[in-house]
Amino acid sequence: MPKIKINKYQVYELLSPIIGFIASVIVLLIIVILVGESPAKAVGAIYKFTMGTTARLATVFSIAFPLFFAGLAVALAFRAGVFNIGAEGQYFIGGLVGAMAGIYLKLPPVIHIPVVIIFSMIGGALWALIPAILKVTKGIHEVISTIMFNNIALALVNYLVNGPLSGRGTSSLEPQTHEIQATAQFGKLNSLFRVIGWNVPDHVYLDYSLILAIIMGLLVWFLLFRLRYGFEIRAVGTSIDVSHYAGIRVSRVQVGAFLMSGAIAGLIGMQEIFAIRRFYTFEIASGLGFEGIAIALIGKNSPLGVVFASILFAFLKQAGYGLQLFTSVPNAVIYLITGLMILFIVVIDEVMTRYIRALRKKEAV
Amino acid sequence: MALLEMEEITKVFPGVRANDKISFDLKAGEVHALVGENGAGKTTLMKILYGLQKPDSGTIYLKDQPITIKNPRDAINHGIGMVHQHFMLVPPFTVLENIILGAETHTAGVLTMDKPAGQVQTIMEENGLLVDLTMHVEDLPVGIQQRVEILKILYRGAESLVFDEPTAVLTPQEVEDLFKTFRKMKEQGKGIIFISHKLDEVLEIADRITVIRRGKVIKTLDRKEANKSLIAELMVGKPVFLKVEKKPASPGKVILEVKDLGRKSERGHMILNGVNLKVRAGEIYGVAGVEGNGQTELVQSLAEKVKLESGDILVEGESILNWDVRKRRENGLGHIPEDRHKFGLLLPFPLAKNIVLGKHHLPPFVTELQVMDAKAIRSYSRETIESFDIRTPSEMTPANALSGGNQQKVIVARELRFEPKLLMAAQPTRGVDVGATEFIYKQLVAARDQGKAVLLVSADLDEILSLSDRIGVFFKGVIIKELDPAETTKEEVGLYMTGEQESA
Repeated sequence: MPKIKINKYQVYELLSPIIGFIASVIVLLIIVILVGESPAKAVGAIYKFTMGTTARLATVFSIAFPLFFAGLAVALAFRAGVFNIGAEGQYFIGGLVGAMAGIYLKLPPVIHIPVVIIFSMIGGALWALIPAILKVTKGIHEVISTIMFNNIALALVNYLVNGPLSGRGTSSLEPQTHEIQATAQFGKLNSLFRVIGWNVPDHVYLDYSLILAIIMGLLVWFLLFRLRYGFEIRAVGTSIDVSHYAGIRVSRVQVGAFLMSGAIAGLIGMQEIFAIRRFYTFEIASGLGFEGIAIALIGKNSPLGVVFASILFAFLKQAGYGLQLFTSVPNAVIYLITGLMILFIVVIDEVMTRYIRALRKKEAV
Repeated sequence: MALLEMEEITKVFPGVRANDKISFDLKAGEVHALVGENGAGKTTLMKILYGLQKPDSGTIYLKDQPITIKNPRDAINHGIGMVHQHFMLVPPFTVLENIILGAETHTAGVLTMDKPAGQVQTIMEENGLLVDLTMHVEDLPVGIQQRVEILKILYRGAESLVFDEPTAVLTPQEVEDLFKTFRKMKEQGKGIIFISHKLDEVLEIADRITVIRRGKVIKTLDRKEANKSLIAELMVGKPVFLKVEKKPASPGKVILEVKDLGRKSERGHMILNGVNLKVRAGEIYGVAGVEGNGQTELVQSLAEKVKLESGDILVEGESILNWDVRKRRENGLGHIPEDRHKFGLLLPFPLAKNIVLGKHHLPPFVTELQVMDAKAIRSYSRETIESFDIRTPSEMTPANALSGGNQQKVIVARELRFEPKLLMAAQPTRGVDVGATEFIYKQLVAARDQGKAVLLVSADLDEILSLSDRIGVFFKGVIIKELDPAETTKEEVGLYMTGEQESA
């Protein structure tokens, strides 16, 4: 059991998300009052829709999984100083590659599930490869190239699902592939939770994504903070010049981080494709890659931070539906609050960082 | 009456007094040159004058009235203008658009260009600064772009003009043109502050010369009493408070051999013109020279793979030209970089990580499975911190919490504990307090005594003279003279450094 020591600086660092959250809740309540609703009713609605029942609470966790992968993917790239805006395209392609493995390969479940996961990751990584190479060889900024690649990805999957990979006609009019084989589908863990006394109803998806998320979170944490390669990633993200003079092969590190980020992004769509729909369509939820940027930011690019940030985002999404349904506050308020929260956290973070630096200076003198 | 006066300006950054009670004044109709090494405090002083930085104490007077300058806008309103080393121009805009940018005239929101065009025309004629106003800045050569910068500040009514190393980017002909402009501006009663490393130019154009070193004004000279070697001495000299104890050197085999090294600068002219030098095991080879003569590029060529025009670099007889930084480090090249913040330290990272940086990928710091061994790293760091007397609360303190001197000690310690065959030390004591300087000197001598080859590059002549076993004087991209420190004087080195004395 490793000793967990928390010093006062770490406490200060934790303050910014907490203060940011509280400040944005206050703003939310002010808006609620301005709209003419009672704050108590709004809070009640949010509570009911997010934590009121076991099913609601489980739903929050369920929709946090894709958000977690998105945040983790972006955070890993950020650590190396790479701004991966392309998670969006990477999960559309990754999901498709994984789905192909799930549809056309014939394997026993124990092997098939890891295989589709790996194929999804390879698909995501491949979609990051060209922007990564363009960045380190030609200096083309990844923000530009990955945005373009997002559009290319959408067009490509649209074509493929409508054309060569189409399985339409059997059960649905929606353009889609054939069904993923049972051996590759993500099962639910709901019965497992029932055993430990948490009564999650069947319509909520607490599926294998949970296990996958835990594994990936731990792997990324281990990579960043325990492996030499992760140290080099963080060094490059801190200063390219210093890293270069220390003999770190900067381009190689950045390409590696970019590809790993793409690989993780490839997992964003897995829950929807392998557990919920069980076929692939280009109509899977979009925009998650972009939400990943905000999640990484709020989670301060740390795997644990991303856990909390993705649950927070899932909570906010549900809270928005609750407000919409039970009060006259529009759902759009949640987007506003999310934006404000990011702003608060970033600003308070900067203030805290300076304060901590000043404190440490005093101590070092 | 002085046009502008700065009185007892003090500015302290963590670990270094960038400006220490500096007093400086500018009269109307004069060129006042400000000289000093990089890091001496010239730039900080000018940033304070231009409102980019706040002084900790001191007063600025404009025509005997105390003023406060909070930002560049205040400075401009007080008639102070600055031509930066890196131009502040919008490349796709025309010359006229650039000049009026930020001071546009308009009628009901519509830009009016005729009136300013006329005014700019007058200014151009008065100052001999002719530019085609309709040209786009991106199509102009550097010398003309600089004129646009000057026009920009004259258009805003500047009476005091600061030029931060304006000649660094110019050809000799363009320098002549610039000086013509200086003379015209003088005639009109404007005051010019001229920052430069190039002593020839300073002597040609300046009426007064102020030398600053380590944040203090050393002396203000009239043109009449100044000459190159005097200025050079004031710039680099330091009261001899650091007597370095050292035994005679016992040089061994040649570790580093640089042969006919030629390299182009980013701007395309030759910055290294066939450098030849050898450094032996157990000796300190000191490279002396006024900054900007190619020393930085020499060290860079040794530390990393760069494009060379000619020559070879041999370490123990083997060419290292195709080695990347990691290979060079693994083969015993240690490097104390000139700019520790930019190249030396991962500032937000704990000291422990900084102390192993560069060897972090080798055992014992990483296991066979490439897992970082935190225990080994920390205990190695603790030993290093203790033996190099680095003042820090713990090895887990981030590097940016340390003073400049201690940060530099971290780098020196790191490089020496890696046991290099060759240690390249570029300006190892720049911006470092006296105590740390003395300690670093001792460490460099100790490294020499252990049989390491040390290449010391410094703009500080006393440092070179007291540490080196051999001195190579660098001038215009070559070693023009090798000297024996026992048989030379500061004056002699200074003359070679400034090109006053050609190598016979």
